[in-house]
Amino acid sequence: MSEASSQESDETGGAKAESKPKPPAVAKQAKAIIECKGITRSFWRGKERLDVLDGLDLEIPEGSFEALMGPSGSGKTTLLNLIAGLDRPTAGKLVVAGTEVSAMGDAALAHWRSQTIGFVFQHFNLIPVLTALENVELPLLLTKLPSSERKKRAQIALRVVGLEDRMHHRPQQLSGGQEQRVGIARAIVHDPKIIVADEPTGELDRKSAGEVLNLLEKLNREFDKTILMVTHDPVAAERASVLRRLDKGKLL
Amino acid sequence: MVPFRYNVRNLFVRRTTTIAAALGVGLVVFVLAAALMLSEGLQRTLDMSGRADTAIVLRKGSDSEMPSSIEDATVALIKGAPGVKKDASGKPEVIAESVVVLFQDLLNGAGKSNATLRGVPLDDIVAFRPEVKLVEGKMAAAGSDEVIVGAKLVDRFANMTLGSTLELRKNRAVKVVGIFEAGGSSFESEVWGDLDYVRQSFGREGVVSSVRARLDNAAVFDGFSTAIESDKRLGLASLREPEYYRKQSENTSIFIMAMGTIIAVFFSIGAMIGGMITMYGSVAHRKREIGVLRALGFSRLAIMASFLFESVLLALLGGAIGTAASLAMGLVRFSMLNFTTFSEIVFQFHPTPEILVRSLIFGGVMGVLGGFLPAIRAARTAPIEAMKG
Repeated sequence: MSEASSQESDETGGAKAESKPKPPAVAKQAKAIIECKGITRSFWRGKERLDVLDGLDLEIPEGSFEALMGPSGSGKTTLLNLIAGLDRPTAGKLVVAGTEVSAMGDAALAHWRSQTIGFVFQHFNLIPVLTALENVELPLLLTKLPSSERKKRAQIALRVVGLEDRMHHRPQQLSGGQEQRVGIARAIVHDPKIIVADEPTGELDRKSAGEVLNLLEKLNREFDKTILMVTHDPVAAERASVLRRLDKGKLL
Repeated sequence: MVPFRYNVRNLFVRRTTTIAAALGVGLVVFVLAAALMLSEGLQRTLDMSGRADTAIVLRKGSDSEMPSSIEDATVALIKGAPGVKKDASGKPEVIAESVVVLFQDLLNGAGKSNATLRGVPLDDIVAFRPEVKLVEGKMAAAGSDEVIVGAKLVDRFANMTLGSTLELRKNRAVKVVGIFEAGGSSFESEVWGDLDYVRQSFGREGVVSSVRARLDNAAVFDGFSTAIESDKRLGLASLREPEYYRKQSENTSIFIMAMGTIIAVFFSIGAMIGGMITMYGSVAHRKREIGVLRALGFSRLAIMASFLFESVLLALLGGAIGTAASLAMGLVRFSMLNFTTFSEIVFQFHPTPEILVRSLIFGGVMGVLGGFLPAIRAARTAPIEAMKG
């Protein structure tokens, strides 16, 4: 993984990554699942143009677990949103899982997200009026699966995160760590290729954070999920196989 | 599709605002349903007064019995018209009646109002209108100063209870000897006395207001009508009884429906604004949830449909409350002036499945209109901005 990452970094115009010894699953994968070429994302503040991402080049191989760090305002979340298909770049080409998402319309992008991306949010973002099982089932409502199959798969996802016995609990009846594990179950239930996690441990105590990171590692190693995690927490970043740093819209 | 339980539970979670908004819609639906029931009640009451095999003959140009006048000699001609049914003794089943307005005191000093006084051939009337049943007292005697009073007037006017004395005009008192029902028809809002006594009391000797002829069957009406109306000198017009009563109720019914609809429409603007505010509040409160649903891949259309559904559900809840409340109005009697006869007619609010469904649909439409803009706002929510909270 470290060699692959170094190679990719050279090819992408000097984007450097700190790599750890690669896990076996990633070692077999050299093909990039995320390709950013000259990605710029600009916002306007009055007449002033702010380039939050500035001509960024990046390739992330399939099956990797990468952490993205950087100071506030460095463009981490903006990059994550672009990769997840929640936003479109101002300029550049972005290909994710073989699809050029930068050229897609709103409806097509929503459909693509529902099939390709699993989201893990800092604030968990569970729907409070739905039970854990119903929250996990949500992404499957966008498929043609029958109700019984949807429920079965949601239960399996909850079993993976160790919360099958809490399936009928509402979010307010769960601890923060449990809520985030339900969030992870929701992110994997439709078997997406990529999981994007925005500060997944930001709201958790150390013990719960450890459990969540263990789960992300497990998803990467045992289920071959490509995981891109934005974090401020060096301990969390340590658990990723590749760490990338971003500052002022550029990869360091 | 966003699951329906998401909307249902959200309405339950915000139950105070849900109930407040639903009651607003409920009030409008209640007003509309009550107006429709009132109009239906009036139509039914008048419809019940008519039979398809009976023709009513009036002076041409008269839109009701009150201004019409037909000479006694003409009544004899009508009796001989083709299609007129004859009883077992061979006597034509034809009755001539004189109709005038009584200006009478209402009960409990509530002022005065008009009631219809009908002079009828007392010997023949029960045979002609078999639905008439005496519920108290006895039948008035022919040629006497006795009258019988329709059951719906007893609780409405003074001096109309059994045994009371009623002044038709100055020095023209009559005695109430019976109270009658007539199958819920408009006759129950009338006072009946002897034809000749009534005519003498009002100086209308030699003329009647209307003539009713029972026909062999409903199909022979055209022949009867042609025979009656072809002689221009007689100046008569004939109608089937149901058609006559439909025309009688038309103006009043249209007035009730128009008033009810206008009030409901004005009220509905307020209720829709209330519903809209509730839904805007709901969209703002659940901005983050909308962002999450959008991020998970739910389309703008799915979000819009979800919030529109919630708004309609809220309105239907209100509609159901309003409709259920309006059913209680079925127990209420209502009295109003018939704009054609200018006499009071007493009738009941009459609920029908069609009225209830129409009222409920009206509530649902309010939900669609009130929820449309909030639903659009929800659909246009950008997921990134929404998830920032």
